[in-house]
Amino acid sequence: MTRRGFLATASATGMGATLLASLNDAMARADIRAPVPFGSALPLSGFAAADGIEFRHGLELAVEHVNAAGGVLGRPLQLHIEDTKEMGADVVTQAMQRLVDRYKVSAIINGYNVGTNMVEMDVAADNHILFIHYNTLISHNNKVKSDTHKYYGCFQGDPPEYWYGPGVLLFLRTLSESGQWKALNNKVAIVTSANEYSVVIANAIRAKAADYGFVVSLFETVPYPNNQWGPTLAKLRKDPPAAITVTHYLPQDLAQFMLQFRPNPTQSLIYMQYGPSLPAFRQIGKEAVNGVIYSTVIGELPDEFAAPFDKAYKAKYGANSAPLIGSQTYDGVWHWALAAALAGGAPEPGDERQQRLVAEKLLRLIYRGVNGSCRYIPGEQSAYCYPDQVRDPSLGMPHQFRQHQDYTAEPQLIAPSLYATAKFVQPPWVKL
Amino acid sequence: MDVAIQILVTGLTVGGMYALSAIGLSLVWGALGMLNMAHGVLLTLGGYVAFAAVTYAGAPWPVAVVATMGAGALMGFFIYHGVARVLLRNPEFDTVVIIATVGLATALEHIVLLVFGGQPYGQPVSFQGSLSIRTINVPAQNLAVMVASFLFMMIVAALLSKTRTGRAIRATAQNRELARILGVPVERVYAQVLAISGVLASISGLLLSGITMLSPTLGDDPMLKAFIMCVVAGFGSVPGAAIAAFALALVEQTVAFALGARWGFPLLLLLVIITLILRPQGVLGRVRAIRL
Repeated sequence: MTRRGFLATASATGMGATLLASLNDAMARADIRAPVPFGSALPLSGFAAADGIEFRHGLELAVEHVNAAGGVLGRPLQLHIEDTKEMGADVVTQAMQRLVDRYKVSAIINGYNVGTNMVEMDVAADNHILFIHYNTLISHNNKVKSDTHKYYGCFQGDPPEYWYGPGVLLFLRTLSESGQWKALNNKVAIVTSANEYSVVIANAIRAKAADYGFVVSLFETVPYPNNQWGPTLAKLRKDPPAAITVTHYLPQDLAQFMLQFRPNPTQSLIYMQYGPSLPAFRQIGKEAVNGVIYSTVIGELPDEFAAPFDKAYKAKYGANSAPLIGSQTYDGVWHWALAAALAGGAPEPGDERQQRLVAEKLLRLIYRGVNGSCRYIPGEQSAYCYPDQVRDPSLGMPHQFRQHQDYTAEPQLIAPSLYATAKFVQPPWVKL
Repeated sequence: MDVAIQILVTGLTVGGMYALSAIGLSLVWGALGMLNMAHGVLLTLGGYVAFAAVTYAGAPWPVAVVATMGAGALMGFFIYHGVARVLLRNPEFDTVVIIATVGLATALEHIVLLVFGGQPYGQPVSFQGSLSIRTINVPAQNLAVMVASFLFMMIVAALLSKTRTGRAIRATAQNRELARILGVPVERVYAQVLAISGVLASISGLLLSGITMLSPTLGDDPMLKAFIMCVVAGFGSVPGAAIAAFALALVEQTVAFALGARWGFPLLLLLVIITLILRPQGVLGRVRAIRL
């Protein structure tokens, strides 16, 4: 793609492309500039490979688009990737260190890696490279807070998982107060599984339930994975709640929950975590998944701004690809490239002075990408969450609530209302 | 009453899933003294072959099932001729074959990843509908898993005890050299056992992927559970593996309801540890294991 062609057609990158092109014009030089190497440590094999491959797609497309806009001050981006397989702290840190040692990367932009205890931040800090990730963990915020000087270059491109907790409670209360949903009672059941992500969200719901007028009637931890829900359903049926929140996230297990729940349902709204965003959830659950609500604190918005990105992504990677996932690293590359250009260039590893400049620009630059607005919290360096954390949608990434209304089609965005493309529909099993 | 039925149904379903995974693994160990660590990936391949036959070739489901069984048998032959036969003369066969099949499993899993991608899929070859018992609903796919595990157990038992092939397998398992002198085609027996195991694994993978989903790591968890059941029963005891699978699954699900779902699997592992302390050879295992 030529630079002119790109600027004429890719409105998805909108202001970012224009800004970057302007910066590049101002810095235009006759000599050919060396590429800017940057890296990514992604789970390209192992159980998270599906997402890892989409993260890679997002990076590749971003490199194509950024380079078409002139790269970073005339220097094209050059992507290097290391596989983190089944992930874990040892594998991920070694992969990141290899990126630094072999390719002298200026930045590392990951999707997510699990089981790392955020030790990636130490690799980034020790080598003075810029690090953006989408682990979606509150432990990132806590680690930055513990030593802001050391972790100046570490950023989480989305809000931490904690916000799923207050977010779902706010959503349920809003739904009830607006008369769209008649709650059976004020009880909420929490079903989680033994992993950090699910447990943090479940604990946040439990901790904040009373603030939003709910009582926790059941707190059940299931094994990971878990496809037989008989004992859990028996408990739910003994004491039916107004809402069942399942923070376990594997799509096949959640589909099985619905298949086993639907023949003898309780009059409860069902909210689930992450898994319903994947096509496998609908393929396995079929009609049984209609009515299920899930949410994500980051994902491609179904709006006109993101439409060209969506089209380019599916054209390049196929109709079954998941731009909802790839959009995360896509925005991450753009945000970093702009910050690096504003700072006067992307440094080599170890150049602390210049890297601090890039980090400072990234912290101050609010970026409206295909996932909404990314604005980093000073002192914590993860994205603000709208509307759970900030009231201004231009200053926070939207916490999107989606509902499966017809399993043969994509789920509908029903909240926040500013971005909604459809209204909440009463689940077919609720007869109140 | 409904709670008891619910626990029973869930326990039998989970037991069926454990048993399905364990039978093929136990058969190969009993007959060949070989711990086939690629058993899990054979389940994965079985699921994907059926998926590909229906989705890409437009085959009807009976053809997909036959293709799955054929692929499983072929993979069994491949494991024998490509891995086991080469290593049989090695005095450390028991150990090296574990390493070799781990490597094979890793390679096959990555091939699946390259061919089909990492995105999970639903299994198109699955049973729809359900059976209602009072207020409890049992999906048809779960029933199929339970029935298949019983059927496989009986078929394998009948094969070993009633057929000429079964007698050859048992003779080879007891004394390979004597069996050879008596005219048993030992090498063919080895290949047959791995092929039968491959067929069992592929059908198991097809059925399990109807409950879970298709992903390159589909076989990992069943492989772990199968290993546990075989250890408890005593390696090589096919009926023992199936009985252990159902018994432990029922205990697991009862505990999950009574104490909370989080305690089910840990308590199952505790039972395994106690069993191995009291009977290191497994509940139904022989004191002195026979090796080929």
